Amino acid sequence: MSEVLTDVGSGESVRLVDVPDGDTRARLLRLGFLDGAVECRHHIRKGPVIVRRNGTDLALGSDLAREIEIERPQTEAE
Amino acid sequence: MDGCHDAGCDPDAIDADATLALVGCPNVGKSVVFGELADQYVDVSNYPGTTVDTTLAEFEDYQLTDTPGVYGISAFDEEERVTREIVFEADAVVNVVDATHLARDLFLTLQLLDMGIPTVVALNMMDEAAADGIDVDVDALEEALGVPVVPTVAIDGEGFEELRDRIPAATAPESTAVEAYYDELPDELEATRAEKTLLVEGDEPLAKAVDVGGVMADGGSPALVESGVREEIYGQRRSRVQSITGTVQEVTRTGDSIADRISDRMVNPLTGTPIALAMLGLIYYFIGDLVAQRLVDFMEVEVFGTHYNPAVESFVASVLPAAEWAEPLEFLLINDNLGLLTVTIQYIIGVLLPLVMAFYLAISLLEDSGVLPRLAVLTDRGLNRIGLNGRAVVPMIVGVGCVTMAVITTRMVGSKRERLISTALLGLAVPCSAQLGVIMGLLAGLGLIWWFGYLGVLLVVLGVAGLFLDRTLPGEGEALVTELPRMRVPRLGNILRKTLNRTKMFLREAIPLFGATAVAVSALDYVGGLGAIEEALQPLTSLVGMPADFGQVLVLGLIRRDFAAAGMTDMALSSAQIFVGLVVVTLFVPCILSMVMILKERDAKSALLMWVGSWVVAFGVGGVLAATFGVFGL
Repeated sequence: MSEVLTDVGSGESVRLVDVPDGDTRARLLRLGFLDGAVECRHHIRKGPVIVRRNGTDLALGSDLAREIEIERPQTEAE
Repeated sequence: MDGCHDAGCDPDAIDADATLALVGCPNVGKSVVFGELADQYVDVSNYPGTTVDTTLAEFEDYQLTDTPGVYGISAFDEEERVTREIVFEADAVVNVVDATHLARDLFLTLQLLDMGIPTVVALNMMDEAAADGIDVDVDALEEALGVPVVPTVAIDGEGFEELRDRIPAATAPESTAVEAYYDELPDELEATRAEKTLLVEGDEPLAKAVDVGGVMADGGSPALVESGVREEIYGQRRSRVQSITGTVQEVTRTGDSIADRISDRMVNPLTGTPIALAMLGLIYYFIGDLVAQRLVDFMEVEVFGTHYNPAVESFVASVLPAAEWAEPLEFLLINDNLGLLTVTIQYIIGVLLPLVMAFYLAISLLEDSGVLPRLAVLTDRGLNRIGLNGRAVVPMIVGVGCVTMAVITTRMVGSKRERLISTALLGLAVPCSAQLGVIMGLLAGLGLIWWFGYLGVLLVVLGVAGLFLDRTLPGEGEALVTELPRMRVPRLGNILRKTLNRTKMFLREAIPLFGATAVAVSALDYVGGLGAIEEALQPLTSLVGMPADFGQVLVLGLIRRDFAAAGMTDMALSSAQIFVGLVVVTLFVPCILSMVMILKERDAKSALLMWVGSWVVAFGVGGVLAATFGVFGL
């Protein structure tokens, strides 16, 4: 089973690989959040996940974060 | 003059042929750049058909237009649609770019250039970039983009001489990479470069307009190109952004800044919740107590009650002849309920004006410091349960200060559905400070347990109503997607300018509405309508176990909520009756000012539904409470 953004803890770096909703995907793409690894600044329990890319912080509601599939960097793969 | 709202905008004030639009991402200092460039402010108004405000001014031979902050030109929300329209009509654009967020902001820049819009880039916040250890090679950026790039520090007024000099040199590259996609469009299509670019990006409003033009004769879906093309173009543009930032920018920053650390504290529930509560306490004290209670009381009792109203009344009485025909006119102008020259003016100048200004001041402070989106993050989880997301926290807080004001802030909430839910909850179950003052006074006489009971009933109604609306309204709750801009100490000048502009715009729109409402209500009163309403309310007052004169309280409540609660202070009631009565007047219809605002911000149908819904809920809940108390013999 693939992992989603709500599985990520504060401080981890991951890539956002699949965003189901087309408009949301376009908005994230536009902001550069799909270009490369994003850093998870905060994951509020049952609440929003805050991700950072190129110095821009973005808060994503938990319902949305649950739908976003992620990939961890290869070096950290177990 | 397209970008002009009908009310109060003077098209002759700007005799410029060319328009210059200021475009940029949110929080890049656009409004400060606007203030620096503008020769003088001309107008703040709603963009036609929207609730988005735009600012117009004169700049040399141009008409200068500010636009809402956007990350790209498309039509994802109302703000973006407004900016998109303005960019289409503009002869040239000043693109304000945040030097500390080059990788984010250049997407919009490249999109403008792809559209062939003549552009000058104002590379702003050069001071913060330097402090962050970000070094941007301005000449290299100019080379890479092919348009003038001027470094600025807008808040200190730096770089504007050069910016003014180079605006006439606004340009766009002859051709850009996006052209390769124009082949996707039908050959016979006649469109400008800007239109073609947006069409291949799947821009819906434009595709529909072209459709009407007869290109898509088969009546099929409005999309002219396949759905994957937008993403391909966006992705391709992103890689151009990456390669430009890679060459022009050098970052030597390590570790978190102080602003970062404050931000971390604010979004962490453990530390953020107390910080947020303290701030809300301060705002409540400022708007709800200092202004809504003390200042407004002073204005109403001293300024209007003692001086203005009696003076106007005697003046009108002396001017109008004592003839019978003059009687209705006199009533309309100076009756004690809602006279056009007395109580209406008192509400606008004595109540609304101080509240609006205090409120805009507080909101501007929260906006400019970067606190708002962090509050949204903190409250998102709780608000999700009633079909809202964290952005709805602002109206709910402001509502406790003043529901009328709060209805305006529902503009910040995002989708139409969420605006509807938050407006309905505000009108229904959020008591305003004026009313709370009287309510607290009455409940204090009963004991603390009644106070908690009162809060409990309201929270339950709020939760149930929210759940109900979330389930019944079509569509789904929109997830929170919000940028957390850097936290900053707000600049006083900017705050004051925002406050004044917004207040001016508010009053210009509100005064005619309130005036018309006052005349209508007074007319109804004159023909005996209000008395008839009181009589008709008899069955309802007995349903909630209240004496007949509670009907009068309700009629007052139609006009102002605190009047209703205040009306109860003179009645002889049992503890249970006071409790039920207070719950009923809280849930009862929003005051007349709020209703006018709901009408203005939403539409007549929603306003009517909310108004009727308030009656049903108020008497439903009141009836249940009265019956429960009856069982226990209270």
